[in-house]
Amino acid sequence: MSLLTVEKVTSGYGDMEVLHDVSIEVKPQEIVTIIGPNGAGKSTLMKTIFGLLKPILGQIQFADHEITSLSPDRIVRLGMAYVPQVENVFPSLTVRENLEMGAFIRNDDFSDRISEMFELFPVLGRRGRQQVGKMSGGERQMVAMARALMLNPQLILLDEPSAALAPNLAEVIFERITAVNETGVAILIVEQNAKQSLSLSDRGYVLAGGRNRFAETGENLLANEEIGQLYLGG
Amino acid sequence: MTTLAHIPQLLVYGVISGSIISLGGIGVSLTYSILGFSNFAHGDFMALGAYIALGLFTLFTGLGIPSAPFGPLSFGFGFILAFILAIGLTALAVIIIDRLLFRQLRRSGPIILMMSSIGVALGLRNILQFFWSPQPHYYSQAIQPAVSVTALNIRIKPDQVFIILVAIVLVVLVHAFMRYTKMGKAMRAMADNATLAQVTGINTDRVIIWTWAIGAGLAATAGILAGIENKFITPELGWQMLLSIFAGVVLGGIGNPYGAILGGMVIGISEEVSTAFISTGYKPAVAFVIMIIMLLVKPTGLLGRKD
Repeated sequence: MSLLTVEKVTSGYGDMEVLHDVSIEVKPQEIVTIIGPNGAGKSTLMKTIFGLLKPILGQIQFADHEITSLSPDRIVRLGMAYVPQVENVFPSLTVRENLEMGAFIRNDDFSDRISEMFELFPVLGRRGRQQVGKMSGGERQMVAMARALMLNPQLILLDEPSAALAPNLAEVIFERITAVNETGVAILIVEQNAKQSLSLSDRGYVLAGGRNRFAETGENLLANEEIGQLYLGG
Repeated sequence: MTTLAHIPQLLVYGVISGSIISLGGIGVSLTYSILGFSNFAHGDFMALGAYIALGLFTLFTGLGIPSAPFGPLSFGFGFILAFILAIGLTALAVIIIDRLLFRQLRRSGPIILMMSSIGVALGLRNILQFFWSPQPHYYSQAIQPAVSVTALNIRIKPDQVFIILVAIVLVVLVHAFMRYTKMGKAMRAMADNATLAQVTGINTDRVIIWTWAIGAGLAATAGILAGIENKFITPELGWQMLLSIFAGVVLGGIGNPYGAILGGMVIGISEEVSTAFISTGYKPAVAFVIMIIMLLVKPTGLLGRKD
């Protein structure tokens, strides 16, 4: 049984098609990475799944719901969350306020969930009252992930979580991603520099020129020489 | 020497005028940051509020609702009731304008929204002229003596103290709302990044309604306070203040409501104090000059963000 099914989706901006016939699948509690060169359509795929772009053709199902033409705020309510690549936090709000916004649709007391997030990301717990705009790139990425996790999603979409981070910080982020996955959340990652991401993934897809190229386990993609040369920098 | 001796008194006038400009500026700033356009109808929302209050006050007087002045103030219970109801009705009217017009154009971009706000401005002003004529209407014709504060070398009327107090209370309330309530935080979040707000699950349509309600409520208050200060209102009342309001908003940093408060106060005081040195006819030019200097020196304004 799959949690997310993207079936032969063609999508893009206005008349410009970026994705052609792309199909991917994420099963419950999996980590799946989509790799591919710059301009392959990875971010477009994320935006299309999350309802920020309407697919021209194809269908998307999530947790037994047809979500092909739903708006993002409806999709959030079904248990999916999305962390964009850039501008993924509210900079003028504090860490705690960012998390509160993540739980906007909840009307009950969600302070337990905030405590859980502070346990998962201890750096944030110590700085709950700090304005996020004044934090480092790595810390912002953690705020963005914690915000997206506030509603206990079944699936979280991460768009290049390690982009623009120093290698040691990227390592910290990937270690946190594994920790998030261990709480039972499925994760779909798109990455340009994907060795690290593939090594912790159950499965991976290669997207190039807006089309599916390969679909394999993370290990096998890493071991594949052709993919290594073409997409992983040798 | 005589000129300098006037300055404390001019500062008082400046604070009164700055209070009204600031209340108008908060709404302009919120609309800019959350809805993404410069609302040229904001001055006319002020006039709308002032006339709704007039209409209700006239009605209440006719119904025999007591309107004897409170203590030294120039107005009483009937007027205060009209004041409060006018705030709510103006907010409601503006929300309806949003549903009918601005919401339909939300995806069309800031220029289209700004142009249509000019249309709303002209429409509202002409509706007010149609019902009340372009001639001034009076809230009160009584002459209110000013009280001397000898130590500070100033004279101030009880009504003017009321205006300043109302502005302070509302600024504190707006601050508390933005800082501590869920909707206030969502407004700040949406001002930061509207797409992310939607992706996060924030009900952006509800945030927009609240933004209009607060902006319009404060505009109505500013319009009515301007009527109390000037003793009369005309349909042009808000439009005439719009330049000072925009100057204050730009000076403080467009998109930042605290900047609008600070900027409005600076503009109000500068305009009044300038009259000690140059002809009162140049008051609007003072606002213009300050706005242009700020745009040249620091376009993000006093409290603006760097991004």
